[in-house]
Amino acid sequence: MDLEPIASEVLGELVKLGAEDASVIAAQSFERMVRFSNNTISVTKSIKDVVVFAYAALNKRRIMGSTSNPSQNALKEFARRLIESCKILDASTEYAPLPKGPFTYPTHTNYDPKIESCEEGVLEEYVKQIIDQAIKAGGERTAGALTAEASRISIATTGGIRQSDRSTRILLNQRVFVGDASGHGLACSTRLNTFNPLAAAEEAAEYAKKAVNRGPWSEGVYDLILSPTVAADLIQHVGEAASAFAVESGISFLVGRVNEEVACDLLTLVDHGVADGAVNTRIFDDEGVATRDNVIIERGILRTYLHNSSTAKRFNASTTGSAGIIDPHPWNLEVYPGRYSPDEMIKEVKEGFLITNNWYTRFQNLRTGDYSTLPRDATFYIKDGEVKYCVAGLRISDSLPRQLKSISAISKERRWIYWWEVTTPTLAPYLLVKQVNVTKAVG
Amino acid sequence: MSLDPDLAKLAVDHGLSLGADYVEARLHHILEVGCLLRNSSPEPTILVDSNGLGIRARYKGALAFGASNTLSTQSVKELVEEVVKRAKASTGLVGEPIEFSGEEMGRGSWSAEEKERLEDIGVQTMLKHLRELDDVIKDGFHGVSFTNRLLMIETSVEEKFYVNSDGAELRSRVPRLSISSFINASYNGKNYAITIPAGYSSIGESGGWEVVKRLDPYTFFREEGSNLAKAVKSERKPPSEPVDVVLGPDVVGLVAHESSGHPAEADRILGREAAQAGESYLKKDSLGLKVGSSEAYVSDDPTIPHSMGFYLYDEEGVKARKRRLIEAGVIKEYLHNRATANVFSTKSNAASRSVAYNREPIIRMANTYVEPGDYSFEEMLEGIKLGVYIKSFMEWNIDDVRFNQRYVGLEAYLIERGKLKEGVKAPILEVTTPKFWSSLDARGKDIQFRAASCGKGDPMQGAPVWTGGPHIRLRNIRLGAR
Repeated sequence: MDLEPIASEVLGELVKLGAEDASVIAAQSFERMVRFSNNTISVTKSIKDVVVFAYAALNKRRIMGSTSNPSQNALKEFARRLIESCKILDASTEYAPLPKGPFTYPTHTNYDPKIESCEEGVLEEYVKQIIDQAIKAGGERTAGALTAEASRISIATTGGIRQSDRSTRILLNQRVFVGDASGHGLACSTRLNTFNPLAAAEEAAEYAKKAVNRGPWSEGVYDLILSPTVAADLIQHVGEAASAFAVESGISFLVGRVNEEVACDLLTLVDHGVADGAVNTRIFDDEGVATRDNVIIERGILRTYLHNSSTAKRFNASTTGSAGIIDPHPWNLEVYPGRYSPDEMIKEVKEGFLITNNWYTRFQNLRTGDYSTLPRDATFYIKDGEVKYCVAGLRISDSLPRQLKSISAISKERRWIYWWEVTTPTLAPYLLVKQVNVTKAVG
Repeated sequence: MSLDPDLAKLAVDHGLSLGADYVEARLHHILEVGCLLRNSSPEPTILVDSNGLGIRARYKGALAFGASNTLSTQSVKELVEEVVKRAKASTGLVGEPIEFSGEEMGRGSWSAEEKERLEDIGVQTMLKHLRELDDVIKDGFHGVSFTNRLLMIETSVEEKFYVNSDGAELRSRVPRLSISSFINASYNGKNYAITIPAGYSSIGESGGWEVVKRLDPYTFFREEGSNLAKAVKSERKPPSEPVDVVLGPDVVGLVAHESSGHPAEADRILGREAAQAGESYLKKDSLGLKVGSSEAYVSDDPTIPHSMGFYLYDEEGVKARKRRLIEAGVIKEYLHNRATANVFSTKSNAASRSVAYNREPIIRMANTYVEPGDYSFEEMLEGIKLGVYIKSFMEWNIDDVRFNQRYVGLEAYLIERGKLKEGVKAPILEVTTPKFWSSLDARGKDIQFRAASCGKGDPMQGAPVWTGGPHIRLRNIRLGAR
C-alpha cells in the first residue's frame, strides 16, 4: 500500500475542513511471530495493519485520533469526525503551533528486505534450530517467541513536512528450563546478518543449568550486579521520567533537576531516534521534526527533558524531536559503556547478587522513584568476589534515584535489550549498584 | 459500524476449502474516546477507531492466527491463505496436536445493558464532567495541595461478529466507561504521586453514559481525595511484630486477581506463557489442593451485570458462566479455553478473550473477586489488640509462578483494641500465596469492585476486568516497612 498519498490526502481533508495545524502519519506494519513452548510450536501469527494517526488544531482547540480503516471514504469520515469534535472542544492555553520544516533527517541502515519478505517456513526453521540449540546446551524444555516485523511510515504536516521511512526488526525472547530452574535469553536486531538467536538459546540454557544449585540467603542490603536485561528495565523508567509531560504531571522523580546531579558521574544516558541496530528507529517524530541524539544524563548531570513543541513552549525550551503529540518519549536509549568486564565486577562484590532477569517493576511513588521489582530466572549469590550458588524468591525494594547515584561500575560489554518487559529499546551494560535493599516474602 | 458477516463467513469457508480442519473469524470493531484534563487545561482529545478481522485456523493439530484491517474480499482471502500456509509450515514442530473440547456453540446476539448510547455523547460533555471533577479536588484537602492533576475519562464501544466452523455465530456489543487520575500531592515540602482511585486503577463499568450517574465520581473523588490526602501525611511505621491485618476491597480484589486468578489460567499451567507472563505454582494435577483456610472463596464471573469484564459468550463461541477458583481453601477450577479443556479432559468454561481484531484469543480472567462473608467491618476489628488496616495500595508485584507477592499500602491505619487509630505509612504485605490464603479468617458482608486492565499475551493484550471483594481479615502477619 502506498502510504504517502494516504497521509497527504487526510492532511488535505483536515485543512479543507478548517484545521489550522495538522500532522498525519500513515503506518503499515507486517508482524510475523512463531510462539513455542515445551519444545514445540504453540501458535504462529501474521498481523497486517495499516493505521492512520492524525492530529489537528483549530482556534487553539486540539484533537488527535487514529483509524485502522484505510479506505478513502472511511478516511474522509475520520477527518470529518475529528474536525467536528475539535470544534466543540474548549480552547487550550497549552496550544503551540506545529514546527515548520524543512528538517534534515538522519539516515540509517535498519531495514532488511530479507526480514520483510521472509516466506512461511523460514521463521519455523529458525525456531527448530533455537529449540535444538537449547536442548543441545543442556536445557530440558524451552519456550519463547520469534518475531519478524517490517514497518513503513509516512508523515505529512501543515509545517510543510512530507517524509517517509521504513525499518525492520527481528526479535527472540526465550526461556530455557532445567527442572524448575530457568534461564533467559534475548536477541534483537534490525538485520538478519547480525541476528544471533542461537547464542541467546545457549546462554539461557547455561543459566538454567547453573540455577539448579540453590542455596540460602537472608533479607538485607547487598551490592547487586544487574545484567543488561535488568539494567535496561530500570533505565527505561529513567527515560520515561525524562518526558516533560511526566515532569509537568508530577509523576517523575526528575522534576526540577535539570543541570543537577541525578546519577553517579559514570552514567551517561542518551536517546537516539536513529542508531545502528536500534529496533525502534524513527527519523521523524509525530510532529514531523527530525529525531536526533539527546543527551539526557551527561556524566551524572541531568541535561534535558524530552520535549515536543507543546511542552517545549511551556518549559521555554526547544523541541527535542521526541513527540508524542501529548507525551514526549524516548525512542532508543543508550547507556555509555564503562571499563569493566562482568567478571571484574563480580570480583568487586564482597556480598551480593547477580540478577540476570527481572519483571513487574512497580512504583509506590513515581515522584520519589520508590519502587520494587522481582528478579526472575537465574539469580546468583556472590560472596568475596565469587559466584557461589543460585537463589530464589528475592525482591529488590529501593529507590531509583538512590540507585542511579550508587552505580559504582559499568561494563564495557553492552547489548540491545527489547522484549515483553522492556518496551523502550535500550543499549545496556552490566551495572554494579551498591547497597541495595533486598526483601523476602513471609510464608 | 456495520460488521459485514459475509466477510467473516467467507474467511471460514475459504479456510476449510484450503484444508484447514477448523476455522474461526472475528470482525472486531472498537471505538474509543479519551479526554484528558491536565491542571484544569485540556490535552488533545483522543479518538481511536480500531476495526479489522482476526482469524484462526487449525491444520493437522497446528494452530495459526492472522489479522488484517484491509477488509476487501481479496485481502481477506489472501489473509486466510497466509494463515493456513503458516499452520501447515509449523506442523513438523507441533507436539501434541491441538484439539478442541466439544462444546455447544452459541448462536445469536448478546450485549451489555445500555441506556444512553456512548456514541451520542459529545466530547464537550465528557470534558465538562472532567472539569467538574477537577473542581472537586483541585484545592486539595487537609493542608495537602494537589499541585499536579491529570484526569482521564475513557469510553469505548466494542462490537464483534464471530463465526466458526463448529457452528458458532454471535454478534455482540459492549460499551464501557472509566475514570482515572494521577495526582501529585504536596505536603511539608514532600511530594507523593498518587492515583484516584489508588493503585493505578479506575472506577468503571460496562454500559452507556448512565454509568457516570451510577459511579457518582464527584462523591467518590471528594472522599477518596480527602482520605488519600490524610494518608500521605502519615509518618508512623507499621508494627514490626506479627499483627492481625484487615484489608480493604481494593487490596482484596487485586490479591484475588494476582494470586488466585492468574495461577488458575490453564495455558500458564501448561507452560504456554512461560517466556512472557510466566507459569503457575499450580500444576496439572493440583485440583483439590488445599492452599488456604476454610474461609478462602475466590470466583471469576464474566456475567456480572455492569462489570468491565462483562461477556455472555467467549471468543470461541462458548457460553460464559461463573467459575469458582478456590472453595473453602481448596483449588476448585481452572480457567480454560477449548484447547486446554481438551488437554485436561474437561469442558471449556469460556475463558477465551481477545482485546482487538489483531490479537489472538487467549485465556483471560473477567471479574475476579473474593466472595463476601457475614462479618461487619466493626466485627472484623473486634478482638484485634494490635493490627493494621490496609485500605488501598499503590505498589504491587508478584513472581512469575504467582507465589511470592507484595502489596504496599497507601491509605492505612493502626488498629488498637478493636478501634482504628492514626495513619500508618506504606505498610508492606510481602507474603506467599498459601500463607496469604491460609491466614484468612474473616470475610465482610460488603463487596466492591474496581476497574483495571490485565496484561497478558504476546503481543501484549490489556483486557478490561473488574477486581473486587469484601473487607477481609488475616491473622498473625509480619508487615514490612520502607
